[in-house]
Amino acid sequence: MWKYIFKRLVLLVFTLFLVTTATFFLMQIMPGTPFNNPKLTPEALAQLKTTYGLDLPVWQQYLNYLVGAAHGDFGTSFQYQNQSVSMLIGQRLPVSAQLGAQALVVGVIAGLFMGAASARNKNNKIDGTLGIISTLGISIPSFILGIVLVYLFGFKWPLFPVSGWGDSFSQTILPTLALAVSPAAVTTRFVRSEMIESLSSDYVQLAKAKGLSAKEVVNQHAYRNSMIPVLTLIGPMAAGLLTGSTLIEQIFSIPGIGQQFVLSIPSKDFPVIMGTTIVYSAMLMVMILITDILTAIVDPRVRLQ
Amino acid sequence: MEKWQKVTIGAVAAAVVVVGGTRAAGLWGAKSANSDTLSFQLPTPIQTLDISKNTDTYSGTIIGNSGSNLMRVDAKGKPKLELAKSVKVSDDGLTYTVVLKSGLKYSDGSSLTAKDFVYSWQRIVNPKTASQYAYLASGVKNADKIAAGKANVDTLGVTSKGNTITFELERPMPQFEYLLTFGNFMPQKESYVEKEGKKYATTAATALYSGPYKVEGWSGTNNKFKLVKNDNYWDAKNVKTKQIDIQIVQKPDTAVQLYKQGKIDRVSIANTPELYNANKNNKDVVKAPEATTAYIEYNQTGKNKFLANAKIREALNLATNRKELTQQVTAGISTPATGLAPEGLAKTSSDEDLAKYVAPGYKFDAAAAKKAFQEGLKELGETQATVTITSDADSPAGKTTVDYLQGSWEKTLPGLKVNQKLVPFQQRLKDSQTQNFDIVVSLWGGDYPEGSTFYDLFKDGASYNNGQFKNAAYTAAVNKAETTDALKDSARDTDYKAAEAALLKDNNINPLYFRSGYSLQNPDVTGIIVNTTGVQYDWKSAVRK
Repeated sequence: MWKYIFKRLVLLVFTLFLVTTATFFLMQIMPGTPFNNPKLTPEALAQLKTTYGLDLPVWQQYLNYLVGAAHGDFGTSFQYQNQSVSMLIGQRLPVSAQLGAQALVVGVIAGLFMGAASARNKNNKIDGTLGIISTLGISIPSFILGIVLVYLFGFKWPLFPVSGWGDSFSQTILPTLALAVSPAAVTTRFVRSEMIESLSSDYVQLAKAKGLSAKEVVNQHAYRNSMIPVLTLIGPMAAGLLTGSTLIEQIFSIPGIGQQFVLSIPSKDFPVIMGTTIVYSAMLMVMILITDILTAIVDPRVRLQ
Repeated sequence: MEKWQKVTIGAVAAAVVVVGGTRAAGLWGAKSANSDTLSFQLPTPIQTLDISKNTDTYSGTIIGNSGSNLMRVDAKGKPKLELAKSVKVSDDGLTYTVVLKSGLKYSDGSSLTAKDFVYSWQRIVNPKTASQYAYLASGVKNADKIAAGKANVDTLGVTSKGNTITFELERPMPQFEYLLTFGNFMPQKESYVEKEGKKYATTAATALYSGPYKVEGWSGTNNKFKLVKNDNYWDAKNVKTKQIDIQIVQKPDTAVQLYKQGKIDRVSIANTPELYNANKNNKDVVKAPEATTAYIEYNQTGKNKFLANAKIREALNLATNRKELTQQVTAGISTPATGLAPEGLAKTSSDEDLAKYVAPGYKFDAAAAKKAFQEGLKELGETQATVTITSDADSPAGKTTVDYLQGSWEKTLPGLKVNQKLVPFQQRLKDSQTQNFDIVVSLWGGDYPEGSTFYDLFKDGASYNNGQFKNAAYTAAVNKAETTDALKDSARDTDYKAAEAALLKDNNINPLYFRSGYSLQNPDVTGIIVNTTGVQYDWKSAVRK
């Protein structure tokens, strides 16, 4: 297994290199410069380019970037004067990650309960209601929910603060809920179908035949086996949530990384675009790796190679 | 009902009660209107506190309130002495001699000296600083040369001796006193900047403050911080407000709701037509002009022969219904343009709005437009014309402007075909600068409250004259304003009026609208100075009744 993890990590570094290269050259295609002031004279612009090394041939800029990145120097933001990219991402990513983690925990736990309830009440009213709820949850975008939540619980019944981050836990509740609905809905659908399959399997029939109560059958036999596929779902879901939701961050004025990433593109903030892309790709790959390892641990039939 | 279902419902009910109860009991820090605290909102996070490098309006507001300069703009928009005891200008307008007040201090108690101004001016033009606003110093002796890397920073025409600072200019600059109020030229202490190095001004704790307030609690990324009264400020006795809470609220309608709940004291309602229409009848509405003009540039290089023809340009200008356009594009938030210089930019010597005084009489006249168009076509020996309008794809106004022009021009001028070309902002700038356009919709915002910030645009050889026209009468009028009349306010007003008239005579450009805004402002809060250029909001004298 250690050999397998090592192999995957080497692959990860190689993939990161490819992502870096592709992003770097794609950015060169975009028009304009990071200096957005339309009032800059051509001379002033040339001077700025020289200062930042943007007048060098592209291959040389690319090599400079790679050398810097290999030494842990991802450059300095153009938009946020003087702020290094490491500091910028280092301060914003934890905010997005906390929000994402909260949403993930709330969403998955809610999904597990609703999925199980749905499966056990297959084809009756409860199942139908939960089915409608989860379909809605999957189809309604989180930002619409965010706006509805702001309206209902921020202004109609002002229970929660509607903007900001870091002053109180209550600020995190509405954005967490808005983000949690989609993973909850997905998990519900997933757990439901897995549970229905488990409930009709031989070992559950056997457990029932042995005279165990319905509760024991579900909790001890069906539920645990239905968990395995859910694990494979959590990996990519976590990567998506932890890296920040642009629109939710915008609606609730949360200083996270998602929004920063989007803003950095039109302003051509090269170092930030590069740094964020690298962090995103690394997180996604690490999440997938963790999922694979966990699956192997939970399900002895899976062998890592 | 199953047991777990009961437990769940019970837990949810308990949570609602607890949350609701504590909220009602005010345990969540509900805000009480404290008489010496104000609360303002910014729509985007601030980017830096670096005096020399900042280019962002909102960061500029924070820098302007936590810093001070030799002069400060008063409620009437005129520069008044601040850190300076006196400002004297030589008869030729080329030398400004400034004497500092004595006993000036920074927020940390260290002394503020004339050297700190020299350092700040040197720092912004120094190519190593890479400030995008280095051009603001253009006109000060050697500033352009230094910025281009062709001269040493020591040669800059800003020097100090004791508590006296001397500015030497290359040409008379009517706007120079305004530069002495600017955030980008506020004093900076060399030893402090050097000591903080790369961390300088990236957080509240790594900057020094010379203004009415000091910044506290800004970590470089967080969305809530405050301005706290600076007791070392020279005029601290006249700063009545002890604390200003600043929060970043990015959703405009959320901000408006927070205003209505009494949690912030001023908010913009001009972000979307819907928001404006929903709030325009609120009793707290105040108008907030932006000193920005949206205008059309015609490519007059001959790339498109129709636009090189004066009659065709006249037809297009006459066919532009600016009132209707402003209504359609901005829901009536902005003001139809009457010339190049926008309303709210500057005042004339007799305290009239400059835009009003210089307005040369742009008008909408469909019949005259049609006639001019036919004459133009005849001169060119054509029966129809095709033009393409370039505009921003990434702003809603960019698209609606072109839609409106296309529809109304084609209707008013039979035989005219209008194409649209929508490109990203950056591409539009590039296309404009390389004359890769027929007609382009441009925006220009003023840097300082004086006409030259606009009239410099189209002088012969100016780098922003994207249409590359030559208008001798215009250039002569602007040059006169900036040389012989540089220090004569009323003569300069006349020159600018002549310049506007020359632009209209040749129909070189087509002003569309003056961008403007509306805000809600708490009537209990007075003393906020709103500037259309420089520091947007000056809260030095702001106070809650």
